Amino acid sequence: MARMKFLCDADRCIECNACVTACKNEHEVPWGINRRRVVTLNDGKPGERSVSMACMHCTDAPCASVCPVNCFYTTADAVVLHSKDLCIGCGYCFYACPFGAPQYPRVGNFGSRGKMDKCTYCTGGPEPDLSTIEYEKYGSNRLAEGKLPLCAEMCSTKALLAGDGEMIAQIYRERVIKRGYGSGAWGWKTAYRETVAI
Amino acid sequence: MLIKRKSGDAGRTKHQAVVAGLAAGTLDRRAFLRRSGLAAGGLAAAGSIQLGSVRKAEAAGSAVSGPDVVIKKNICTHCSVGCTVTAEVVNGVWVGQEPSYASPINRGTHCAKGAAIRELVHSDRRLKYPMKLVGGQWTRVSWEQAINEIGDKITAIREKNGADAVYWLGSAKFTNEASYLFRKLGAFWGTNSVDHQARICHSTTVAGVANTWGYGAQTNSYNDIRNARTMIILGGNPAEAHPVSMQHVLSGKEINRANMIVIDPRFTRTAAHGTEYVRIRSGTDIPVIWGMLWHIFQNGWEDKEFIRKRVYAMDDVRKEVAKWTPEEVERVSGVPGEQLKRVAELFAKEKPSTLIWCMGATQHTVGTANVRALCILCLATGNVGKPGTGANIFRGHTNVQGATDLGLDVTSLPLYYGLVEGAWKHWARVWEVEYDWLQSRFDEVPAQAGRKARSRKENMEAPGITSTRWFDAVNLPADQVDQKSPIKAMMVFGHGGNTVTRLPDAIKGMNNLELLVVADPHPTTFAALDARQDNTYLLPICTTLECDGSRTASNRSLQWGEQIVKPAFESKSDYEVTYLLAKKLGFADSMFKNIKVENNVPLAEDILREINRGGWSTGYCGQSPERLKAHMKNQAKFDLVTLRAPKDDPEVGGDYYGLPWPCWGKPEIRHPGTHILYNNNLHVKDGGGAFRARFGVERNGQTLLAEDSFSKGSDLTDGYPEFTMGVFKKLGWDKDLTAEEMAVITRVGGNTIDAVSWATDLSGGIQRVCLDHGVVPYGNGKARANAWNLPDPVPVHREPIYTPRPDLVAKYPTRPDERQFRMPNIGFTVQKAAVDREIAKSFPIILTSGRLVEYEGGGEETRSNPWLAELQQEMFVEINTQDAAERGIKDGAWVWVSGPEDGTQAKVKALVTERVGRGVAFMPFHFSGWYQGKDMRQYYPAGTDPVVLGESVNTITTYGFDPVTGMQEPKAALCQIRAA
Amino acid sequence: MRLGTTISRTFVAMMALVAVAAIDAPVRAQAPTTAPNPTADSVNEDLLFKQDPKIHGRISIPDQKAANLIQPQGREWRLFHEGWMPWIGAAAILGMIAALALFFFTRGRIKLEHSEESGRKILRFNGFERFTHWMTASCFVILGLSGLNYIFGKRLLMPIIGPEAFATLAQWAKYSHVYLAWPFMLGIVFMVAVWLRDNIPNKIDWQWIKAGGGFIGKAHPHAERFNAGQKVVFWMVTGFGTAMGITGLMMLFPFYATDINGMQVMQGIHSLIGVVFIAAILAHIYIGSLGMEGAYDAMGSGKVDLAWARSHHDLWVEKEQAKTASGPQLRPHQAPAE
Repeated sequence: MARMKFLCDADRCIECNACVTACKNEHEVPWGINRRRVVTLNDGKPGERSVSMACMHCTDAPCASVCPVNCFYTTADAVVLHSKDLCIGCGYCFYACPFGAPQYPRVGNFGSRGKMDKCTYCTGGPEPDLSTIEYEKYGSNRLAEGKLPLCAEMCSTKALLAGDGEMIAQIYRERVIKRGYGSGAWGWKTAYRETVAI
Repeated sequence: MLIKRKSGDAGRTKHQAVVAGLAAGTLDRRAFLRRSGLAAGGLAAAGSIQLGSVRKAEAAGSAVSGPDVVIKKNICTHCSVGCTVTAEVVNGVWVGQEPSYASPINRGTHCAKGAAIRELVHSDRRLKYPMKLVGGQWTRVSWEQAINEIGDKITAIREKNGADAVYWLGSAKFTNEASYLFRKLGAFWGTNSVDHQARICHSTTVAGVANTWGYGAQTNSYNDIRNARTMIILGGNPAEAHPVSMQHVLSGKEINRANMIVIDPRFTRTAAHGTEYVRIRSGTDIPVIWGMLWHIFQNGWEDKEFIRKRVYAMDDVRKEVAKWTPEEVERVSGVPGEQLKRVAELFAKEKPSTLIWCMGATQHTVGTANVRALCILCLATGNVGKPGTGANIFRGHTNVQGATDLGLDVTSLPLYYGLVEGAWKHWARVWEVEYDWLQSRFDEVPAQAGRKARSRKENMEAPGITSTRWFDAVNLPADQVDQKSPIKAMMVFGHGGNTVTRLPDAIKGMNNLELLVVADPHPTTFAALDARQDNTYLLPICTTLECDGSRTASNRSLQWGEQIVKPAFESKSDYEVTYLLAKKLGFADSMFKNIKVENNVPLAEDILREINRGGWSTGYCGQSPERLKAHMKNQAKFDLVTLRAPKDDPEVGGDYYGLPWPCWGKPEIRHPGTHILYNNNLHVKDGGGAFRARFGVERNGQTLLAEDSFSKGSDLTDGYPEFTMGVFKKLGWDKDLTAEEMAVITRVGGNTIDAVSWATDLSGGIQRVCLDHGVVPYGNGKARANAWNLPDPVPVHREPIYTPRPDLVAKYPTRPDERQFRMPNIGFTVQKAAVDREIAKSFPIILTSGRLVEYEGGGEETRSNPWLAELQQEMFVEINTQDAAERGIKDGAWVWVSGPEDGTQAKVKALVTERVGRGVAFMPFHFSGWYQGKDMRQYYPAGTDPVVLGESVNTITTYGFDPVTGMQEPKAALCQIRAA
Repeated sequence: MRLGTTISRTFVAMMALVAVAAIDAPVRAQAPTTAPNPTADSVNEDLLFKQDPKIHGRISIPDQKAANLIQPQGREWRLFHEGWMPWIGAAAILGMIAALALFFFTRGRIKLEHSEESGRKILRFNGFERFTHWMTASCFVILGLSGLNYIFGKRLLMPIIGPEAFATLAQWAKYSHVYLAWPFMLGIVFMVAVWLRDNIPNKIDWQWIKAGGGFIGKAHPHAERFNAGQKVVFWMVTGFGTAMGITGLMMLFPFYATDINGMQVMQGIHSLIGVVFIAAILAHIYIGSLGMEGAYDAMGSGKVDLAWARSHHDLWVEKEQAKTASGPQLRPHQAPAE
């Protein structure tokens, strides 16, 4: 079975934010919810790198573990999804998530959170694949159409790779060997307890 | 192996929800637009979105992916890379965007703007219907009323003040066809004051490059950069301005382990990926380039053979370069000699090398000279005309190349024919109108302020007023403006008002206008920044995603975009509005003589065919709509690096993608286009070429024709001039022309048939025969290191008008005051006054401007797109950590940035960063809607205000114009910053 | 088939990037230089983690917590919350229940000692005091249960009632937790206002403690209005209550005052104190109801048996009676002692 992962090649990422707006476009994500974002490290100094980050769909995902209502589940492709019907917006997943992935619409008083929203790896949610209700709650389900997440598909420099972990690791490995440098698979150690050995 | 969660669903399509709703007729286009307007609620308010009855997922099956979903391909309307946009359309609603993997240019990818482009079409912040200002209030009017009133007003102005009193500002966002129509409209109206954004981005490139080797365009392509082993990016930040180009740049860097040297005052996102970063002082490009050449000449790294065969007057450059010792270069530019030597050596020795530049090089008072120095660096090292080399100039807007080519330029008719009598006569023949009638449309200019009067013919051949100075031509005393009357009316199509320097003067100009017409998908700064009360019209124009037409990418490839959806709301296409205006002005029938018009909408294909019929000079003759459509259909067949399709393909065999101009001869002879300009390793029929013999055959006893150099398979094995019937006769090639071709040539030539050239022969015969003989129609000349017709024939350094180094002004002053483009350019006086008043002491920080990836141009369109606007919500100034510390400024705090002219100031957020060096500040130029601390949101028509507003950098920018093109100086101004 | 072709197309395109040219470029020796080489200088994860336990950068959106790229502390918090917290919570609460049960079965209910004053009542808590107590107490019970639900609900309740019903319950539990926090915090403030004066520790408390509070043996040590044990409860309630309030407010207004790691610490403190608080209050409930005859009346009717009062709060009774001599005092069933 495929094990879906994201890998951002920071030596390619130019912080163009295509991944961010592609996500907005594909899922009509509202203002203030950032399923994906690009963070620039060492900004303005030699060594500056930008990394596109969203839910990494961790192995043994911390969000799923800490959820008080067990609203998370992992698909056969190892995509970590959640049910907005079960979510109570407690915010625990944000505390646990190493990548800041969970997003909450602000509803009601005193910063109280609505139901959590996050990157679905363009895989929708627990509702029937490609149904209206799935689209409304989680956005589109590209995986069910045989497509990959749009953020990676539209990445301007092909920095953001999505697909089977083995394959994208191999692509990255070959890139690094060819060009002679690589700042590593950001977040992999934390998300998957592994690195891409070159 | 990749296995989907449910492979059984693979036949279905995305957005089933929307698709099913639309297919079931429960959600119409209007409802969708309305819904989209509510998208702020989006997922959060999912429960409130009613999509009507929806088919059961399992019942939908292939019915939904069948006839309901239509795939349309168009071209991104943002930058010049030319990314294909693939749209999924259901019932006339654009419901989804898919990666365009087949395009060899973007290969599925987009930047933030391209990935968010769907929003442009259904944005609820678009201008929805025509409006006019009545007593300071925006009032809805009908199209009919708007066109009638506008037509009557400009006609009245024309009668009173002359044709030149109406300024026609076009757009780099036009399609080629709309650009051409707009220029034609200007010609039929009787003025040369027809301009567009190229003026403020790459006008100096066009002038500088064309004056060096023939054509003013990128010599190679984005894709070809993959072949480079050394690339210098000077004054450009493609990571933000042309993100998809970085795919090719970074791939090239990786595949070849290429050197990627970034020369810039600012450590940009691009610089972060360089192998070397060279920080220079803004406005010292020539010292840096000459500094490199100093090392190159000193060490004999130049390509002597290339120079001998293909370059004229390199020795003149040597003399100037000799002055730029490493010490002097470091004194002026701040770049250490050792670093520059290393960079020079890499560029000269690790070939092929390419030079990439953008607005950091062009937007200066010495812009044209900068560009020519850059060209000379390429020439000296033999880095032109081969794969992996060249001047890879990244143009700005989506179709700025095409709009430039098609004559939205105050100095030329379409396709660089210029304004000379021959040019007018050529286009009169193509348009099938009388030359005399065209001439009668122009004003007679009276003698004033000691200047001679101009006849209609002379005025017809006099360059118009540049867009950088339209407001000076409104505000200056009448006798200072060398035309019948100062400007009284502005017809602004697709052009922001905040992109030109000296905004306070522009606002004065706006207030002094008798008529202001803004035709744009959004109201733009023109409509919102001033406090006009009346006589201001807003015409809603659809984006080019909502109409058919071709666009020319920076690499000269033409791509055909098909209408994705019908124009939103009441908006109309540029074609239709141009037609309606022409109709109102009474010359539609003659202007559209050969163009089919349906329901007031001229057919884009017919316009392109007319361009083909007249576009010989630039090789815009072979790109018929049919061929371009075939290219879009067969995108996947083109090679990623060579951009060429396999020769055996029935539809596009052997073609280069997008038939990059020049694409010689008639479409039927199937010239493949020219991927790499001036490449003499290829046969002309395979896109080979030579430097254009544009400047004569001999000067001061030296030949201007190539020596021992010619394109592959050429019948002539040395340099040769451009081809005319006269030359043909000498060679005996006139016999190769068919009878039909001869008939046309005879008709064109009349008594002077020998003068009919490759560029004026409407039959295409001369070009066809040239190709058969393996020669380039425009001749085989040398590139010029000395452009004797320009103000500084060999580029010399000149300090910016407002320089932080007044000590250098005595040695490197700007050019003396002179009149250009009907106006005085008093740069010298301004510079002297700045030095005398010690401006650099009170305004010690260099202010430079540039792009953000999320926004584009004036930014109105992109700042109205919430997907983009969310990512940059505040106008800011980048300030160095030390400068900030000295001023007690913290990151994210409000600051006032003030400029040296008229006490201007702008309130913006501070971004404290090492990106800029000490004493340098950077501001993006996409913002407007705030003016000197005041929020102007209320001036927008209700509901059309962009999501994000902010101060325009051009409130602060100052005087300074390139003598050749009128280019402004927003890259090297001065400012002071203080905490607010 | 669409599925296969799309995926393979994607990957062919990606692979093409790396497979265009053969590896032929020799690695050039880098000339010694001080000039920046941004490619060679690149930051990497390990290096950044050495400088700072989380990786933080710059982001253009206003949500500054999004500028954290990686915070592995999330995993530690998860270990605490899922690995330790259920055991700590269970140990604290079940441990307390067990201890109380043990106490109950060994010591039995502390009986009211009869004397001639039996039957006479004395006002121990007025209406406002009782309102404060019960408002705080009832909030506490719901807050405690809904709080425990965050830890134990999915483990105990969900298997029984199913995910949907549990999610609905948990949603309401969350709302009640969020909204009842306010009256609870108000109650804590009131408690401090009305009872602080009587809860200042003094010498008598020391004596009381030395005497084992009367739980051991028969003798009742002297006590004022509140004995040392009750003072401990007061300080515990107000102290823990304040801590729960502060940490809770931090979570009600997340990221206003602290960053992600601060939030994790706040949540940790909140849950740790929470379970200890619950355990302690269990003891309080026990002693105020089942554990001691006559104690409940104090918060029930507000009036306690004078005999009970005299044995448990002798000094307070004396003070109250002294007051009565000089002024009116409520004695419903008794004429004033002459």
